[in-house]
Amino acid sequence: MRKGITAIVIIVCVVAGFAAGWLFSPFLTGVTRVSLVDQIKARGYIIVGTSSDWPPFEIFNTTTQEFEGFDIDISELVAAELNVTIQWSDMDFDSLVGACTAGTIDMIAAAIMVTPKRAEELAHSVPYIRVNELIIVRGDSSITITKLEDLAALPAKSVGCQSGTTQEEELTDANVDYASYVSALSMLTDLDAGGIDVAFIDEPVLGQYTAYGFKSIFIVPAEPTALWCKWEEPELMAAINKALLEAFKDGTMDTLIAKWF
Amino acid sequence: MVETPDLPSIFFYILVNGLPTTLLLTALGLLGGFVLGLSLAIMRVYGGKDLGWISSGYEKVLRGIPLLVLIYIFIFGIPGIFWFIDPLTRPLFGVILALGLRSGAYQSQLFRGAILSVDPGQMIAARALGMSQFQAFRHIVLPQALRLAIPSWSNEYAVVIKDSSYAYAVGIIETLKVAFRVSANYPLLWAPTMGVVAIIYFIFTYPITRMIGERQTKKLKKLGMGGG
Repeated sequence: MRKGITAIVIIVCVVAGFAAGWLFSPFLTGVTRVSLVDQIKARGYIIVGTSSDWPPFEIFNTTTQEFEGFDIDISELVAAELNVTIQWSDMDFDSLVGACTAGTIDMIAAAIMVTPKRAEELAHSVPYIRVNELIIVRGDSSITITKLEDLAALPAKSVGCQSGTTQEEELTDANVDYASYVSALSMLTDLDAGGIDVAFIDEPVLGQYTAYGFKSIFIVPAEPTALWCKWEEPELMAAINKALLEAFKDGTMDTLIAKWF
Repeated sequence: MVETPDLPSIFFYILVNGLPTTLLLTALGLLGGFVLGLSLAIMRVYGGKDLGWISSGYEKVLRGIPLLVLIYIFIFGIPGIFWFIDPLTRPLFGVILALGLRSGAYQSQLFRGAILSVDPGQMIAARALGMSQFQAFRHIVLPQALRLAIPSWSNEYAVVIKDSSYAYAVGIIETLKVAFRVSANYPLLWAPTMGVVAIIYFIFTYPITRMIGERQTKKLKKLGMGGG
């Protein structure tokens, strides 16, 4: 009997400890608020979160051992504005928002589209590009649709999307019973292998997977993409926006778009 | 897409770029688990009822939480716990802490079994020779218990090295993440790359468990220790 009580007490203590840590951890870093921009400048680097399986936006080139892509170049502009270097944090796409909220990363550059739901959690910069989303099928498939809701008529779990993306939200809104994947790679591999019949993906990314011979059957215009950081750090957001707007003004943005798309 | 690499070059690429981090996570996780597990086992065996309950309660809680959840708790849940470390290495410490705490729960069971399987008569004999309980434990029981624990400890190593692959989820560049990067560059090589990862983990698991585990079990049998 006492054993049971002790076990319960321990569980309660552990939970309470986690709660206390969560509540009081902000105070451990010091009561006076040091803005993230000052912290970044003091340590000399900004931690940018990305998900490196999304060319031409971002990919880790295993030959040159460097990140490359449109978002990577844009982040370099922000880093130049702050006069710091970039340290990349490469994680799954659906972990990024949580990581930024927790402060593990300072900024997200992962072709994240602006949606109201995300804007509740994080602040976004001025949008810098807008791409289309495609409904794709295998080359020999005969599936056709005229609107997104038509996908709901397909068998359950035959539509795939990447978890945490806008595509996932749109499929949910369209009442489609979809399968969600951690990466675009595993989704398209599964599409090729016949695990799913339809995939929903950003148009530019498909360029990396031309060898599979998928065909597009429907185009969905998507929201523009932006860089993201915490709402509590308006100074950092101001710096990000300044870098982006200057890139638009002096034509750097056009050069980058021509380079990657 | 540039020219497609052959499998050996993928193998060595993953080995060079990913494995050091995997081994570091495994080593530090096991070390943390060893210290924690041994202390918990001692508390459980010699600590009487009160300390014993703490130890067994800890095991029951930690064994019931998936490792990925622990990792998320220490990195995204309570990001402030490592405020004194520079922000870049925080995820690494979070994962090591999670691995250590979890491994500690399992290792405490393992060491408890090892300590208990040393004949209690030896403790009585040592006390009769005038040793204190601590001296008897330190010089008589512990050396034998640690040796008895080696085979099952090698099994714990096999568990931790594979569990360290969860670290990829929080942005740590270890073996699995490097493999994902390779396959993102060469989508058609996805399946072979996963095969290469499987081989790497196997190479670093099987020979060690075999060498340490099976050989030690035989040796111990020869010495007449343990049930094998």
